[in-house]
Amino acid sequence: MKVPRIFSLLGFASLFALFLSDSVQAENTVTLYTQRHYEFDEKLHEEFTEKTGIKVEVVKATADELIARLEQEGENSPADLFMTADAGGLDRASKAGLLAAMPASLLESVPDRLHDPESLWTAITQRARVLAYSKDRVKASDLSTYEDLADAKWKGRLSIRSSSNIYNQSLMTTIIEANDAETAEAWAKAVRGNMARPPQGSDRDQIRAVAAGLADVALVNTYYVGLLENSSEKKDRDAASAVSIFFPNQDGRGAHVNISGVGLLKSSKNREAAAKLIEFLLSPETQAQYPNATYEYPVVDGVAWSEIQERWGKFKADEVPLKVLGERNAEAVRLFNKAGWE
Amino acid sequence: MNTVAPSSLGSVEDSASTGKRIYRLNRPHPDRWGVLVGGVALLISLPLLAILVYLTQEGPEWSHLVETVLPTYVSNTLILVTGVSLVAILFSVLPAYLVSYYEFPGRRLFQWALILPLALPTYVAAFVFFEGPEAAIPFLIWIRSEFGVDAFLAWEKVIRYGLLILMMGAVLSPYLFVACRATFQQQTRSAIEAARCLGMNSRGIFFRIALPLARPAMVGGLALIVMEVINDYGAVHFFGVPTLTEGIFRTWFGMGDRVSALRLAGMVMVAIALLLILERQLRGKARFEASTTSSGLCRLIPLSRGKGALAILICLVPLVIGFIYPVARLSQWAALDLMSDRPAVLAASAGLIRGLVLALGVSVGASLVAAVFFYAVRLRGNGWRLGGARLAGLGYATPGAVIALGVLAVLGAWDRWAGDSFLPLLSGTLFAIGFAYFVRFFAIPLQFSRSGLSRIGRPIEEAARLSGKGPAATFGRIHLPLLRGPLIAAGMLLFVDILKELPLTLILRPANFETLATSAYSLAKEARLQACAVPSLLIVIAGGIGLMIMNRWMSSDSSHD
Repeated sequence: MKVPRIFSLLGFASLFALFLSDSVQAENTVTLYTQRHYEFDEKLHEEFTEKTGIKVEVVKATADELIARLEQEGENSPADLFMTADAGGLDRASKAGLLAAMPASLLESVPDRLHDPESLWTAITQRARVLAYSKDRVKASDLSTYEDLADAKWKGRLSIRSSSNIYNQSLMTTIIEANDAETAEAWAKAVRGNMARPPQGSDRDQIRAVAAGLADVALVNTYYVGLLENSSEKKDRDAASAVSIFFPNQDGRGAHVNISGVGLLKSSKNREAAAKLIEFLLSPETQAQYPNATYEYPVVDGVAWSEIQERWGKFKADEVPLKVLGERNAEAVRLFNKAGWE
Repeated sequence: MNTVAPSSLGSVEDSASTGKRIYRLNRPHPDRWGVLVGGVALLISLPLLAILVYLTQEGPEWSHLVETVLPTYVSNTLILVTGVSLVAILFSVLPAYLVSYYEFPGRRLFQWALILPLALPTYVAAFVFFEGPEAAIPFLIWIRSEFGVDAFLAWEKVIRYGLLILMMGAVLSPYLFVACRATFQQQTRSAIEAARCLGMNSRGIFFRIALPLARPAMVGGLALIVMEVINDYGAVHFFGVPTLTEGIFRTWFGMGDRVSALRLAGMVMVAIALLLILERQLRGKARFEASTTSSGLCRLIPLSRGKGALAILICLVPLVIGFIYPVARLSQWAALDLMSDRPAVLAASAGLIRGLVLALGVSVGASLVAAVFFYAVRLRGNGWRLGGARLAGLGYATPGAVIALGVLAVLGAWDRWAGDSFLPLLSGTLFAIGFAYFVRFFAIPLQFSRSGLSRIGRPIEEAARLSGKGPAATFGRIHLPLLRGPLIAAGMLLFVDILKELPLTLILRPANFETLATSAYSLAKEARLQACAVPSLLIVIAGGIGLMIMNRWMSSDSSHD
């Protein structure tokens, strides 16, 4: 009889502790719901707290999970800011009526294309989706556009991850936008047919597949190459040194560029602190840190790139309006489903 | 449970329709136990009902799904479920039999060590085993150059699916091992002893006595494995084997069609419910009269050196695949990380403690509630109460993220209602996440309580009741002490499951709340596998301790004191 009694006491004490530890919204905090899983972001938040005395409370999950949560929490939500790793999530949040306009003065340094016209959200970093090709087996002159990946000459030579991944979906929205749905579906079908193996793993694994000689060209986000090149594991550094980067569609619309961005939530009860965090993230000092820490591109003009980005070189970016990425996302997935690209 | 219900012996009830007076024994009055069952079942199933509502609704993408990807999801799910079940049977039934009846070097070790793979989350095992397809690349390139692309694609698929199935089978096999071991050590003992005396050979005993007798237990263990496989998201995604669960998320996130996604989830729930009913039917017919009093340890047959070596091998293979190899690899990574110039300091260690306390609290709370709950169900086993019990156990068959959505809906409604009053808001609190764990995992303590209660004979209960104790007092004085073993075992298994839980925790957690699982996930997302090994190993260690405690109380639960 003793043991169950101890256990029940323990149980009730723990359950009681649950209620006590309910987070109480302090004055000097800003609560951020974010999709970004980077240790570097935590470092930035600490820096921000040191500078302003405002604490940053964080909930990390995928964009759509967070949107679902925000919708259910409604105006009772403790969240002030919503941050994603792609433009589509921001568009869906604004369509769901979750975002409020930020003071326009915050966005002065951000180019018009990289923030919402009504100031509902702004980009904080940019990432380009490019081709990583084998230095040994592919010449840069063989490569040209995303559309060209459908060509029969790439049969059995491509390595690309699953179409469940948001970066592939975003790229697909721009293929639809630049061409049409029918062409995009045929493209997806042909590219899937040209893959060396069924889609699996992350962007990093696609680069590894090229380095190992399984495939010749991988479709990846630029910063993955930067991360591999600066990895503590030799295996990763070797993989990075076996590939070169190619920015597609330079003679046409430009390479596909997605953003990481942030929006102010209507439910925010701490707008001043939230605005300060956005201001901090867009400040030239913070912007200059991203290229060296996460290998993403800055959004503010005049901020220096990292050494590796300089090596990749300047490129022409596709200037499709970013809201297209959100608006066409469902269509993109539907076309992937039809094309049989898992 | 200190309240003593008014003695209801010989309570009188009016039957208005007939005017007759009906006398009933032991009728609690009013039916407070019925209210309790209904209340708990309703509370737990509210989030599930919030999802089942979608069964009848057709989202915009539904017909598109059926035409394009659904067949692939269904076939992949079936391949995985079948493959993993077979591997798990291979890795558990014979080892459980061997450690129960034969003496060979290492038997005592294997007896508990074969439970350990359960401490390893499948998504962590996937990080380790995904090195397999990568390591196979040179071989695959050779196949491609020698035998062409078709052979290459076939081999690639076999290696990838094979490794995934092998890994999941090994990691999940303890569910079956535990079930079989319990049966072999307690229920089938006398039959096997008799067969031995009658001169049946050992092969005949295994295939004709032990296996048929263990079938009901096997089906129960397999049901848990099947649900785990269907629920898995991380490992299957990584290996590029899209299953129904991936379909749910792809439809929800990618196409923004939450209705179709939830309908899919609802259909999976219904399919599993049907599976469970089928299992019950099978088990119902195959109920064997078992001598409930186990006669202590019976004589173990010593094995010759050759056969002993074979027995060791049979037990060692699942242990190596499901535990020793992945843990060794994780340890290697963790050591590299700790030695590096930039070791990943476990983020928010205060949060980790909160996570552990929460896991422990929910485990203990849910186990006690389950015991009271099933006792109330058993008091009068009518259809409604049993139905309520089954509904309350359905959370186990539902992907964590879907449960999270149901919980969000229920608590969101509460918050809107409580918004301006003195009542607390619940969304985004620890309560929300604790409640969700409760909903997700209630099946485990329920299962343990059921089997534990079924072992407490009716006579002892009736004796207590006839001596004038009400149902509550009987429960507190008789059942609860007798249930100590199963409840602690259930609590520990629950603890391990909560430690490993990921999708639900990610969605519902309060700000700055990290568990070992979420910090492992964050680091894995950044592909910092070495750093990710540190929290992963901690999950394995904490889980391993929990499983050891569970094992101790499970094996001693037949010796009531």
